[in-house]
Amino acid sequence: MSIDINKVIADMLAAIKGTVVDKHEKIESIAKQFLIQNKETLLLIAELRISGELDDEDFKSRMEDQKLVLEAQFNALQVISKAIAQQAANAAIDVLEKAIITVVKGVL
Amino acid sequence: MKKQLTRYLPIILFCLVLLAINGCRITFVPAYDTQVATQIDETAKTVDKFYLSMLETTTVEDSTRSYALFMDQYVSIEAELNSLFIKNKIRPLNQNSTRICEITLQLWQKYKEEHKKKNKLSNGLIKLNQKTFSDLFYAMQVAESGKKIIDNPPK
Repeated sequence: MSIDINKVIADMLAAIKGTVVDKHEKIESIAKQFLIQNKETLLLIAELRISGELDDEDFKSRMEDQKLVLEAQFNALQVISKAIAQQAANAAIDVLEKAIITVVKGVL
Repeated sequence: MKKQLTRYLPIILFCLVLLAINGCRITFVPAYDTQVATQIDETAKTVDKFYLSMLETTTVEDSTRSYALFMDQYVSIEAELNSLFIKNKIRPLNQNSTRICEITLQLWQKYKEEHKKKNKLSNGLIKLNQKTFSDLFYAMQVAESGKKIIDNPPK
């Protein structure tokens, strides 16, 4: 019994695609939520600058803090991307593993 | 590009075959930790309550909002954030969550020092601090719950 490598590769790609497509909407909705949060915070910072509760120096400092918040949000998105990549890679390995086991059983 | 991919395809396949034969799994992120997720949730609530109480029960005009009256709560929350930072740091492959905790801790210490130095905090700044930490804790929760993905294979 031999292994049909073209079919195995097609199945592996289907497994990867299934995983990535399934989770695409999750990343998009979280990214949108982050954008809404940032918009609200920037509006609040602007209001506080206009009302004088923040002076020039504090305003600049708060804008720098906002960059850190953005960095944190990108880190959160990276975790999700890595988790999806991990799941996709392992789904592909599962397909290959099953194909190999089938061939080995056929030989034995 | 296609030519290069064709050249490396046997090597990639060989590596995958080796991994499959050995029953190996690729790991990019650590497993979801319920205890850490609960602690993030609890700390987020504590910080939220801290700022909401400050806004509701004190005013900037008198001494009810002076730093000394909030020092214990600042320290207690900083200890919680330190604990979260260390718990994340010791987990392998957890650089992203560790960085989020580090940023949260850094801003907490910064805003604490600002309150200490000026010994006052306007209503607007309380709202801004509350919002900033709410966004950071949300990012922390997203990062931790994102690790659940690896435990839930697609159907």
